[in-house]
Amino acid sequence: MSASLEKGINALKEQVDSSVAAFFSSCVHCGMCADACLFYTETGDPSRMPINKAEPLRRIWRAEYTLLGRVGKMFGMTAKVDDKLLSEWETLVYDSCTLCGRCSMVCPVGNDIALLIRKTREGMAAAGHAPAGLIGATKRSVTIGSPMGVKLPALMAQISHVEKDTGMKIPVDVEGAEYMLLLSSMEIMNFPEFIEAIAKIFDKAGASWTISSEAFEATNSGIQIGVADIAKVLVQRVVDAAEKLKVKTVISPECGHAYMAIRWEGPNLVGKPFGFKVRHILEILDEFRQDGRLKISGKEDQRITYHDPCQISRRGGVIDQPRNLINMFSDNFVEMPDAGKMNWCCGAGGGVSSNERADEIRLKVFQRKKDQLDEIKPDAIVSACSNCRIHLEDGLEEYNMDIPLMSLTETLAEHLAD
Amino acid sequence: MTDRINNKDKSPADLVQLEKSRLDKTLGETLRSQGISRRSFLKFCAATASMMAMSPAMIPKIAHALENARRPSVIWLSFQECTGCTESLTRAHASTVESLIFDSISLDYHHTLQAAAGHAAEEAREIAMEENYGKYLLVVDGSIPMDNPGYSTIAGISNYDMLMDTAKGAAAIIAVGTCATYGGIPHADPNPTGAVSVGDLIKDKPIINVPGCPPIPVVITGVLTHFLTFGSIPELDHIGRPKVFYGQSIHDRCYRRPFYDKGLFAETFDDEGAKKGWCLYKLGCKGPTTYNACATAKWNDGTSFPIEAGHPCIGCSEPDFWDGGGFYKALSMPTANITETAIYTAAGAAAAGVALGAMNRSKKNSAAAAHSDTTIDDLEK
Repeated sequence: MSASLEKGINALKEQVDSSVAAFFSSCVHCGMCADACLFYTETGDPSRMPINKAEPLRRIWRAEYTLLGRVGKMFGMTAKVDDKLLSEWETLVYDSCTLCGRCSMVCPVGNDIALLIRKTREGMAAAGHAPAGLIGATKRSVTIGSPMGVKLPALMAQISHVEKDTGMKIPVDVEGAEYMLLLSSMEIMNFPEFIEAIAKIFDKAGASWTISSEAFEATNSGIQIGVADIAKVLVQRVVDAAEKLKVKTVISPECGHAYMAIRWEGPNLVGKPFGFKVRHILEILDEFRQDGRLKISGKEDQRITYHDPCQISRRGGVIDQPRNLINMFSDNFVEMPDAGKMNWCCGAGGGVSSNERADEIRLKVFQRKKDQLDEIKPDAIVSACSNCRIHLEDGLEEYNMDIPLMSLTETLAEHLAD
Repeated sequence: MTDRINNKDKSPADLVQLEKSRLDKTLGETLRSQGISRRSFLKFCAATASMMAMSPAMIPKIAHALENARRPSVIWLSFQECTGCTESLTRAHASTVESLIFDSISLDYHHTLQAAAGHAAEEAREIAMEENYGKYLLVVDGSIPMDNPGYSTIAGISNYDMLMDTAKGAAAIIAVGTCATYGGIPHADPNPTGAVSVGDLIKDKPIINVPGCPPIPVVITGVLTHFLTFGSIPELDHIGRPKVFYGQSIHDRCYRRPFYDKGLFAETFDDEGAKKGWCLYKLGCKGPTTYNACATAKWNDGTSFPIEAGHPCIGCSEPDFWDGGGFYKALSMPTANITETAIYTAAGAAAAGVALGAMNRSKKNSAAAAHSDTTIDDLEK
């Protein structure tokens, strides 16, 4: 079976629920979401106003679930959803939205606009209007196990490098461990130091942990492309592995959407509560700090700022923890304007970075991040999302800015007291 | 008018002849012959100018225009009315200059005031119309029944026929009182006579609406003065009322307004608030939606006006004031009995909501039933 408009429309019909109806009914067309979206502020293009991106879903809601829309439909007066509309909207829904959720924060009537766009993606993907890059990543996630095509042998190779460098044993498939660590492909391939940092910190903190050889991938392309059926398959792998290893807590690594996918969408996708807890790595580290299990030596005096990854800070509520942790090793922490829950997205989340077609626009909208950084001129940026990190590096290079980027977990590990 | 009454023994033809000789005199000459001093005449001009919000520079102009005006012929027609408007005009300011001005216009026909009766009366009207065709002023009070002409006739002529016939040669029409201007009380629901206003019937003549039940006398004379001074009709609002008198709401000029602004209201007619002279809004005052000069010009030679006497404004100078849902209901209260409507509406809406909800649920369920799992092989067309 292949994608079709009919399937897309059916998917959109399925997505309409009481929240969708309430949100569309309460929209007062004030346009405040426009100024909250970096894809609008940096391009000035009104079609990129957040609520407009959910237009295909709005049309289905109106035509199928409202009285006026139904009557209008009989006389051909209600706007339709067709392939032309969906192909026009493809770049708006996928290339010009990172699902960062800043629009949902400013909406005066409380509409979760990011949710509406996320739901719109369900129809777009089922109708065959997802970008090629995301389709590729999704296929690799399901068939190979990772969107970047990372297979277990590649992970094992990185693990043996780390073991060689540190002389520590990296636990794999250890049954009964307290924590099961997930990793993003980005970390496995580009930042294996993350695994090393975790090993050191957990060793000092005296916590037992493991990596599962069956479900080590944290990212979830099904969420990004907008296919709940696929997202469910990917979440189920983690659930199965966690249950098999009988761990108490699954740790989502430094990756934004992975955290949202497993913690917030996960139980809804598999349709039952998890038998284990899900925490972000920063939450675990801050727990260690509170319990006095983290000993730090030496403080840095360079100006350090923290880039809040949208899905971790704004959508995840993990805002105080990174600041508590940074203050352990820094004397000179500075906040960007709009830091915390209203931070501006890097511009490449929500599947934008997997979509080559969006390369130009994601670098264009990086101007917003540049403006934020220009105001405080930090010596270094710390963040907790590998995807943010890769894109921030791209953006800094594009705009000829020379600011080093650091992972919070890795930096913390470097400052561990011996 | 006193002249006329003293001339009871004269025939209609003689009366018209007498009028003709008087028409040759200017208004100024007439006033002086009546013993009105120039000083009191100028006082009247100054008062009129200030009433009509004109600059003091206009006073000599008004005086000059009035002194030299030839007394215009005025025909006054009364239809479905209570004569209150005439009472207001003739009795309230019995001895003022205004009433003398009225003496000095040539009131050639007026049911209530004229001496002549029957055929003689109608003849006087016809002669006045003929002599001054195209120049006379037509004043109308009362509404016109359109349902059955027999509801109101004069000398066997229906109100409608008389109005249309007399209006033809008029220079302008002044509709006096709410009945003539907007249908008034005869027009009130269920309007048994099919009463309509002058403006509903006549479209090709300038009409000045001077509503009120009755209108303030000084407003009637003010409008006449304006017509005599400038030979034109004053600036009118969207429902044909002179803006100088009807430009502001009673509420905006009410001396109790500060209490409204402070939220101090009389709740009943004998409570503390009523005794202290607080705002009558909650007792049904229509001041906020009523445009008239009562709060500034006042009644009975500037003595008082309803609100000052402790009674809420009933909004008599506004169209359909009789159907406003009760004089003692606050403006913010709905005019109709809404409880039943609200119950039926709510029940209907709830039923429709349940039905629509069921339809939507079944639609969503069928969409879910039509769902086939999307796999990675289904992502491309």
